[in-house]
Amino acid sequence: MTTLPDYNAMSDAEFRQTVRAFVETNYPDIPRYSLSRLHWDEVKPWYMVLSENGWICPTWPRDHGGMGLNAGKHLILIEEFERYGAARVNDIGPVMLGPLLLKHGTEAQKAHFLPRILSGEDVWAQGYSEPGAGSDLAAVRCEAVLDGGEWVINGQKTWCTLGMDANWIFILARTDKTVKKQAGISFLLVPMDARGVTIRNIENLELEAEFCEVFFDDVRVPADHIVGRINDGWSVAKALLGHERVFIGAPRLSAAALSRLKRIAQHSGIWDDPVFRDRYVALQCDVLDLSDLFETYVDRLRDGREIGADVAMLKIFQSELYQRISELMMQVAEEDAGLRHAPEDVRQLHAAATYLSARPTTIFGGSTEIMRNVLAKAVLDLPA
Amino acid sequence: MDASMNEDWQDNARMIVESARAVVPADGALSRVRKARFNGLGFDPKVMQQAAELGWPLMWIGEEAGGLGLGLRETCALMEVLGRGLVPEPVLSTMMAGALLQEALPETVMTGEAVILTAWQDATGALTWQGGAEAGHLTGPKVNLRGAAGADLFAIVTGAGLAIVPRSAEGLTIETAETLDGGTMDRLHMTGVAADFLPCTQVDTVLQDATLAHSAYLLGLADRALEITLDYLRVRKQFDRPIGSFQALQHRATEMKIQLELTRAAIAATARRFDTGADVATRAAGAARCKLRAADLAMLVSREAVQMHGAMGITDEADIGLFVRKAMTEANLFGSPRQQRRLLATRLDQEEAA
Ligand SMILES: Cc1cc2nc3c(=O)[nH]c(=O)nc-3n(C[C@H](O)[C@H](O)[C@H](O)COP(=O)(O)OP(=O)(O)OC[C@H]3O[C@@H](n4cnc5c(N)ncnc54)[C@H](O)[C@@H]3O)c2cc1C
Repeated sequence: MTTLPDYNAMSDAEFRQTVRAFVETNYPDIPRYSLSRLHWDEVKPWYMVLSENGWICPTWPRDHGGMGLNAGKHLILIEEFERYGAARVNDIGPVMLGPLLLKHGTEAQKAHFLPRILSGEDVWAQGYSEPGAGSDLAAVRCEAVLDGGEWVINGQKTWCTLGMDANWIFILARTDKTVKKQAGISFLLVPMDARGVTIRNIENLELEAEFCEVFFDDVRVPADHIVGRINDGWSVAKALLGHERVFIGAPRLSAAALSRLKRIAQHSGIWDDPVFRDRYVALQCDVLDLSDLFETYVDRLRDGREIGADVAMLKIFQSELYQRISELMMQVAEEDAGLRHAPEDVRQLHAAATYLSARPTTIFGGSTEIMRNVLAKAVLDLPA
Repeated sequence: MDASMNEDWQDNARMIVESARAVVPADGALSRVRKARFNGLGFDPKVMQQAAELGWPLMWIGEEAGGLGLGLRETCALMEVLGRGLVPEPVLSTMMAGALLQEALPETVMTGEAVILTAWQDATGALTWQGGAEAGHLTGPKVNLRGAAGADLFAIVTGAGLAIVPRSAEGLTIETAETLDGGTMDRLHMTGVAADFLPCTQVDTVLQDATLAHSAYLLGLADRALEITLDYLRVRKQFDRPIGSFQALQHRATEMKIQLELTRAAIAATARRFDTGADVATRAAGAARCKLRAADLAMLVSREAVQMHGAMGITDEADIGLFVRKAMTEANLFGSPRQQRRLLATRLDQEEAA
């Protein structure tokens, strides 16, 4: 692997220029500004470009093949990619599993799995949720039993984002039924092509197969396909990287939606309407104030300070703001709000696409209700 | 209004709701509706035939002209049931044609041999209908029809009067776009289409009736979506409890119920006023108020329904998604909430002056 420059040593402006030039030069001939996720066969060229340049895992340490970016630089990278409308790659490996292995994996696991994520050889899916275990994730029932040096897995996972593209899945499996729910869960790694794994695609509200169910029927994997200790999977899974918990509340989705709202209003001739402006300005202030709040968390990350449960405020406000902007878009789109596809010339101004893509943001990654419960207890210290 | 009249409308409403069972299964099953999506028309022509057999196109034709002569209370009762069942057939558009044409409604429409749809709107985001005629011909656009490819005839509303033209008329082209609910939204382009214009003084009244009727459809949609969601809150368990036991969700379910009952009351009272001789100003304001709240209601309930269903609500498999996409498609027809508020705002000064 070629050695990358020390990006953290660059000035922010210089790094921003570097990223901008990179994406403009290297972005392949695939869709930009897509509101729905692209599948692996479409987005792979971009993954490979990032991979070949050592840019696929921005937060991983440099000696593990990452860019070693600090929070501030990582944010700039994200911002510039989004500005260009670069598609989001299948990033569960780079974003979730990689950091998790770096923290909890054995040397053998790191040596085996990390390079395969970096090269794009392995594409990962996340198998936490089950039909009966959503908000109450600790209720997982998918079971794994040790038998002759192998885990034998039976059960079901669901809502696996882009699971149909993955060749590996990490799951939370029940390995002890006799103890408190959280204490009997293990974190296992399963190849999707193992005998006994079947998947069924699920169409989402946009009529796209973006997630799937995964069934395990006497699936056998070697005993060492476990991360962390047996029955310690809950704490392994909980340790999501600090960056990600902050960045999920970044104002960019809302900011982008706001600029689309503006263009819809201009397109339909109501941009000067004072009634519209009253509502637009209120939303604009929300976006700006969210940005300021967000920056305080980025500062904390930069200074290496702890991020507490209060970070949930960012995600709650961001996702609900995104939804409120999309609701106004639907109103100002008038009868066109009902169109399945926007006319070619104003494709990006499709109100319904934003409205629909905003729906799941208050459900995945901890629903708004669950996050409010957490805030009420952990931050406001209110009684149970 | 005497008591017997009151009972009359209730009996009629009961009968017409009963007859709707032929189209809307009592158990709320949506398999027919699901199947009719994205089939090019977005609805089932056989059901339009059924609707004609049930006399629905004659709803708003006076009895003396061979129609049913029913009022808005009966219509809203029917539309609410159609909304609950997400019925995709353009029944309302046909009723409008009947109301506008009265005894001039073609025989073939009455028998169900032909489908007639009403084309009135001049432009998206506006409620004007006076365009479309020039020098004794039809010229210009008519927008936001639904299911135009399934029509044999169009009743074209213009400032110069009403024209009946066949879909195949020379100079008439149809631009079709798919809608979220699996139907279509269509634009008629007319260039010098030959037509006889029938005089028509009823357009505003019929549009107000239709706006109110469409509000009742949205009310039915929201009512059923809330029912489905409440059922889900009762059966879905997390943390060893029904999720409906969590107060965070209970309070929001309650808010939906309040909005629903406000809408229901507004529509019932407005329909009664329409049926008992309200003046033009009262009608216009009433239709606007109902449409405004019903559209907001349908969007609110369908949105909350998704959230309360969790990831299940994001799937196309779960029926609740059909309600979301239908609400998104229908909420802004006959004037979005924005348009209705604007209409009501312009009336403030008139009220002041009066
Ligand atoms: C687009 C999308 C992608 C996803 N991708 C993945 C993936 O890749 N891998 C994976 O494992 N999972 C994935 N998920 C699943 C996601 O993690 C779950 O949807 C989430 O945990 C919620 O669980 P649920 O859907 O079962 O809803 P439920 O837990 O059944 O919740 C239903 C409703 O009840 C509310 N509720 C629940 N408990 C409470 C409470 N105590 N107080 C108040 N309200 C409550 C919820 O907030 C919600 O509104 C994805 C989901 C979506 C929508």
